[in-house]
Amino acid sequence: MRRRDFVKSLVAVPVAAPYLLGEQAPTPPPVPPTPPPLQPAETAASADRNELLEPYAAQIAASVADQFASTQAHFFSDAQFATLRKMCDLMMPSLNEYPGALQAGAPEFLDFLLGASPSDRQQMYTSGLDRLNSEAQSRFGIPFAQVNAQQADTLLRPWLRAWIPEHPPTEPYERFINLAHHDIRTATMNSQLWSVAATSAGERPPGVGMYWSPIDPDIQRMV
Amino acid sequence: MAQEIVDVLIVGSGHSGGMAAKILTEKGVSCLMLNAGPVVNFTKNRELKPSYELPYRGFNMPGRLPHVWQADEFNANVWVDEKEVPYTFPPNHPYNWVRVRLFGGRSLFWSRQSFRLSNYEFKAKDHDGFGDNWPIDLEDLAPYYSRVEGIFRVRGQADHLPQYPDGNFVVDDSPWSGSLQRWVDAGKKLSVPVCKARSAMGVDGLASSINLLLPDAFNTGKLTAISNVVVRELTTDKNTGLVNGAHFVDRHSRREMYVQARVIVLAAGTLESTRLLLNSGIANSSGVLGHYLTDQVYGPGIVCSVPEARNGKGPDTLMGGSALIPRFRNIDTKAKNFIRGYALNCYSSPRGMSPSVFPAYGAELQNKLDSYYGSGFGTSMMGEVLSYYKNHVGIDKNAVDAWGIPVLRVETAYTDNEYNMARDAVDTSIAMAEDAGFEVLAKNYEPNPPGYSIHEQGTCRMGDDPKTSVLNKWNQSHDIKNLFVVDASSFVCGGWQNPTMTILSLSMRASEYLAEQMRQRNL
Repeated sequence: MRRRDFVKSLVAVPVAAPYLLGEQAPTPPPVPPTPPPLQPAETAASADRNELLEPYAAQIAASVADQFASTQAHFFSDAQFATLRKMCDLMMPSLNEYPGALQAGAPEFLDFLLGASPSDRQQMYTSGLDRLNSEAQSRFGIPFAQVNAQQADTLLRPWLRAWIPEHPPTEPYERFINLAHHDIRTATMNSQLWSVAATSAGERPPGVGMYWSPIDPDIQRMV
Repeated sequence: MAQEIVDVLIVGSGHSGGMAAKILTEKGVSCLMLNAGPVVNFTKNRELKPSYELPYRGFNMPGRLPHVWQADEFNANVWVDEKEVPYTFPPNHPYNWVRVRLFGGRSLFWSRQSFRLSNYEFKAKDHDGFGDNWPIDLEDLAPYYSRVEGIFRVRGQADHLPQYPDGNFVVDDSPWSGSLQRWVDAGKKLSVPVCKARSAMGVDGLASSINLLLPDAFNTGKLTAISNVVVRELTTDKNTGLVNGAHFVDRHSRREMYVQARVIVLAAGTLESTRLLLNSGIANSSGVLGHYLTDQVYGPGIVCSVPEARNGKGPDTLMGGSALIPRFRNIDTKAKNFIRGYALNCYSSPRGMSPSVFPAYGAELQNKLDSYYGSGFGTSMMGEVLSYYKNHVGIDKNAVDAWGIPVLRVETAYTDNEYNMARDAVDTSIAMAEDAGFEVLAKNYEPNPPGYSIHEQGTCRMGDDPKTSVLNKWNQSHDIKNLFVVDASSFVCGGWQNPTMTILSLSMRASEYLAEQMRQRNL
């Protein structure tokens, strides 16, 4: 809990960062002028004012919702979600000052993601989680969510495979175990908490890339 | 406004269209270029972002771009959305049609591997009796390859292998890393040549139509280009049968327009050029338009670890770099269960490894990732797909795109030849890895779906006989002499090679021929 609070405090940094950086600067940047009143239409000359107006937008430091809010998704049943949480806890625990999948909100995020996914992906997850839970019941008489690490290992390890990206196992249950593992890792490592932990460890955060925004999207498809 | 008749109308702006525009305008020919998508503004349209700021945390929107395996949430907006421009295929034979409609097309994103075809491809039938020869050979195209390699600044090394023709290279005389030297040595024992890779360096980090070809064309003052217009159909003169114009539609407003042209050059990308001809109902007296679709087998390969590089113990010179094993099967000997051949891309990585190659989780997996960091070595296959009449595209009359244009139906499948080749590629990789002392961690024999390589070729093939081919050896329609198709749809077979250098060289050659025909007033 203490560690979670520590990470949470780090997460808040980006919001304040522009101001902190401003204080550290030897010469404070010029204060932007008071914005002019909105006008009904842009004039030709107003295009040249972009540089003047840009500082207003630049000082709005938008945050990521996960920083303050929790995901409200309920695609999985209670039993399926509890099984997924246990998988997350076992497969991607907190290690070396990096958050685990539970801290990174991976189960909740995957609940949302799977709820929005094509039916074949949903089916792979729901049947896989049901089978894992049912095997825990038949082997140990308790739900998967309650098995200990050793018991869980006997249920998970036989299905783990070495596979080349883009070619996960094709047998349905093997596929579920291995792809769920992959998804849990991705949801965790692509979280803001992980990024902050990497930064504070002096390492380059994973998952940073060149994002292409929609390029002149078809206006007829927007209405 | 009075409508002009343009000298040459070029449809498409990628490598093939860009080269046509450059050559034609430099010869004094006025051109109008139509492109289906917008012009990229690199500053405005892209920025560095962390995954957590993206709507789906880097997973991409579920269900979006299901047949573009190259797509992720960062680049999803550059690919053609198959809901906007659909295509169909039999349920049991999926096809991955990967398209870009931005100005410059796929030349903005290609891998830059730069190879010549050899006479093992141009004269393939002479070697094994299958399929057809091209109507040209390496000697015909070699001068154009040399000029293209100069423009694109291809880095490479002369290897003096007939199946891997040398070219006009920026010489790569860098030494092998230690792991790659072991790979070279392992190859020698198995008679597998390990060569330097060949890659276009381009300029300013880009080897695209938009920075290496189109600027020259615009500088002549002879090129006009229109973005965001989708060509619907070509028209012909009822008396002469020649093409005389194109109907197109504004991508945003849906305003229908028409332009007249003396000559039309199609460079819309293999399947889009063929789709346009099929929708126009022209250039198909042979009946082979749309047929002989081919591409290359990608996907099979292995991932290994170089034991001496683990735990940070290896010397700095042990890891890093890449190599290429050009086709070596069916050159001097005959493979037992396939014809033609494949190449292998080989890499030695000083960085982290994919967690998927370790059957472990939690702390155990993290220990593996830490221990194996910087020791990765791998191969991936690029194999020839045989060219069959039955592998084809046609118009699906039951579906249209966002502009009401009938879409393509793609019907193609790999055969035992491709699957057997894939197995050989992986088994050979494993044998070499074991000989080199590498630990094989994961392997894959299963080819990716057809189309994945983004190297679709054929469907509008060239040949000397108008009864069995669509184009002549100058990329000119047998049926309509003022119609040229300069993209990879003209290919008779594709070999294992990335087709870009061949596309560019053919477009250069065809465009010079066209300019000369226009100068002589034959067109």
